[in-house]
Amino acid sequence: MATRSTDTRKRWFSVSRPAVMFIVASFALVAAFSSPAFAAKKDPIKIGVLSFLSGKLKPIGDEITTGIQTAVKMHGPVMGRSIELILEDSLVNAQVAVTKATKLVQKNQVTAILGTSTLEALALLPVANRLRVPIITSNSGSAVITGEKCNYWVFQTNPTPQMAVVAMDSLINDTPKFKAAKWFTMGHDYPWSRRVARSVKIVKGVNYVGEAYAPLDTTDWAPFIAKVRASGATAVVIPVTLGTPLVQFIQQANEFGLTKQATLVAPIGLPDWLIAKLGELSTHIVSAGAWSAWRLEDTIPTTKKFNELYYKMHGRVAGMQAIQAGTAAQLLFNAIEKAGSTDGKAIVAALEKLDVEAPAGRMRFQKDGRMAEVALILGRIEKLKKPKYGAMYAQSVNALPASKTLEPAKKLGCNLKK
Amino acid sequence: MFVNSLNGIIYGSFLALTSLGLSLVFGLGRVVNFAHGVLYALGGYFFIIFLPSLGWGAMVFAPLVVVPLAIAMEWLTIAPIRNRDEIYTLLVTFGLSFMITGAIEYLWGTETTLIKPPVIFQGTVDILGNQFPVYRLFASALSLLVTGLVFVFIQFTAVGLKIRAITDDNEMAEALGINTRWLLTSIFGGAAGFAAFAGALGAPIFSVEPEMGMGIIIDSFLAVILGGLGHLPGTAVGAFIVALAKSIGGGYIAEWAIAVLFLVVAAIMVLRPRGVFGRGRIA
Repeated sequence: MATRSTDTRKRWFSVSRPAVMFIVASFALVAAFSSPAFAAKKDPIKIGVLSFLSGKLKPIGDEITTGIQTAVKMHGPVMGRSIELILEDSLVNAQVAVTKATKLVQKNQVTAILGTSTLEALALLPVANRLRVPIITSNSGSAVITGEKCNYWVFQTNPTPQMAVVAMDSLINDTPKFKAAKWFTMGHDYPWSRRVARSVKIVKGVNYVGEAYAPLDTTDWAPFIAKVRASGATAVVIPVTLGTPLVQFIQQANEFGLTKQATLVAPIGLPDWLIAKLGELSTHIVSAGAWSAWRLEDTIPTTKKFNELYYKMHGRVAGMQAIQAGTAAQLLFNAIEKAGSTDGKAIVAALEKLDVEAPAGRMRFQKDGRMAEVALILGRIEKLKKPKYGAMYAQSVNALPASKTLEPAKKLGCNLKK
Repeated sequence: MFVNSLNGIIYGSFLALTSLGLSLVFGLGRVVNFAHGVLYALGGYFFIIFLPSLGWGAMVFAPLVVVPLAIAMEWLTIAPIRNRDEIYTLLVTFGLSFMITGAIEYLWGTETTLIKPPVIFQGTVDILGNQFPVYRLFASALSLLVTGLVFVFIQFTAVGLKIRAITDDNEMAEALGINTRWLLTSIFGGAAGFAAFAGALGAPIFSVEPEMGMGIIIDSFLAVILGGLGHLPGTAVGAFIVALAKSIGGGYIAEWAIAVLFLVVAAIMVLRPRGVFGRGRIA
C-alpha cells in the first residue's frame, strides 16, 4: 500500500508538473496576448488618408494628417488592433484622387478613407459604391456631398457653407452693431460668394449698400477696396478664397484704412494658421461660421485632451481642419468598435447610430442623412491674454447648434440608396 | 474715377518695371521668357531672407543675388538653343518656371509671408479726400525712377547704342563686331535683376508666396504685346493701359474687369498690330 501510495504521489507529481507548466504557460500567453504590445503585433487596421500632401494646399493637408495622427494616438488600439495610416497625395487633382483611393482599397485593403476635402470628396462620390468602404470627409465645402448627391458610403463632419450662410442671420440679428451696420459683400467671382451675399441681403431690416466680385486671380485689390470705401460700408462680408488671396485682401484692406472704417466678416471663419500669419490684423475680423475652434476646450473635455496631445505631438495649436479631421477619425474608431468588425457595411450601420463626444463637440449624423450635426462657432478674433499652445490670437467662441443651421436630410435633397 | 485712375497709375508704374525686362529680352534675343515671373518671385524671397540682417538694404541686395543665377540659367539652358525657333525658348523657360517654383516650395515652403512697409512709409495720405497708402506711392515713384533710368541708359550710353543695334538687326550688329553673345547674356541678367527688384519692392503690397510671379507675368506679357514686341517705350505705355483697364474696370464693373482688359487688348491688337506706337515686331 505504502508503495502504491508512493507511486501514486510520484504519478501525481509526474502528471502534475506538465499540468502546472501548462497552466503557467496559459496564464503567460493570456497576459501577453491581452497586452497593448501584443495588440500592436496583431494585424493593424489600415486606414487610408487621402489629402493634399504637396503644393500650395499642403498647409491644409498637414493640418488634416496631423489631426488624424493625433486622434490615432489619443484613441489607442481599436478592437485590440493598432491603427496603420496609409497616406496618399491627391495632388489637388480629381482623377488622381480616384486612382489613389482605388489603390488604397484594392492594394492596401484599407478599412476606410479619411482626410478628404471638397475636391477629393466630390471625385469619390461616383465611385464610392464600387470602393465599398466608409469615407468620412472633414474639410468639404460643397452642399451636394451630403445633399442631392449624398451617398451611402460618404459621411461629412464639417459644417457646409449653407450652414454658415444660415449662421449669418443669427450673427447680424444677435449683434446690435451689425444690425445697425451698412453691409457690403466683397468676394471672389463664383457662386458661393453670391450665396453669401444673398444670405446677408435677406436678413430682415439689413442695410445693404453694395457688392463686388473680383476675378479669382486678383492680386491687387485696390480698385475693389476703393469701391467698398466709396459705399460707406461699415461691415464687409468677405467670401474670398482661403489662403493667399484672403491674406492679400486683408493686408491691402488694412493698407487702405478699410479696417478702420469697417469690420470684416469672414463667412466660414479663418484657419488658425492663417490667424497666426495675420497676427494683429486678424483682430479686425469676425468669424461667421468657423468649422471648429480649439477654444471649445473650455467646455468640452475631449477637445482639451485633443488640443494638449496635438500640441505635444506637433508643437502648435490644433487648427480647425486638424480638429475636424481628428473628429472624423474619432468617429470612425468608435464605429469600428461598435460594429465589432472592419466590414464596411457594419461600420456604416454603426456610424449611423453613433453619438459620441469628439474634439469638435458632441457628434452624431443626422437622421436619414450623412451630415454630422455639428455646431458652428461665431465670434471676433481676439488677442489672447496669455498665449496658449503657441497661439497669440484666436476666435472667441459662441457656439450655434446644428439644430439652428442644419436642415433635414430630405430637405437638403439627400435620398440614400443602400 | 480719380481714385481708380490713381490706383491704375500706381499699379501701372510697377507693371512697367516688371514688363521692361521681358521686352528687353525679347527685343534682343527673341526669347519669350516665361521664367520672368519666377525671377520676380525669387526677388521677393531673397528680400525676405536678407531683410532681418540687411534691413531695407535687402531690396537692393536681393536682385544682386538673382542676377548671377539668371545668367547661369541663360548660359546653361537658353544660349544653346538661341538660334532655333522662338517656340524652343518659350518651352524651355516655361519648364524652368515650374522647376524654379517647385524649388522655391521645397526650400521655403508654400506659405504666404506678409511684410510690413518701413515705418516711415506706413499709413495713408489724403489726396483730394481719398486715402492712399504711402508705401504704394513710394513704390510707384521708385518704379518710375528706375524705369526712367533704364530708358536713359539705353538712349544715351554706348552700351545702350549696342543694345538698340542688336534689337534692330542682330546679324548686322554682329557683323559690325558687337559681341552679341556677351550682351544678350548680360541683358538677360539685367532683366532678371529688374524683375527681382520689382518682387522685393512689391513684397509689402502683394506679400510673398511661391506663385506670386504668375499673376504679374500675365499682365506683363499683355503690356509687352500692347506696346509692340521688343519696343521699350511702347511696353511702358502698354503697362499703364493694362493697369488702368484693370483698375477702372474693377472699380465700376468688377465682374467684367478681366473681360474689359482683354477687350481693350483685342481692340488695340486689331487696330495697331505692331503695338501702340506701331514700332514693335509682329513676332
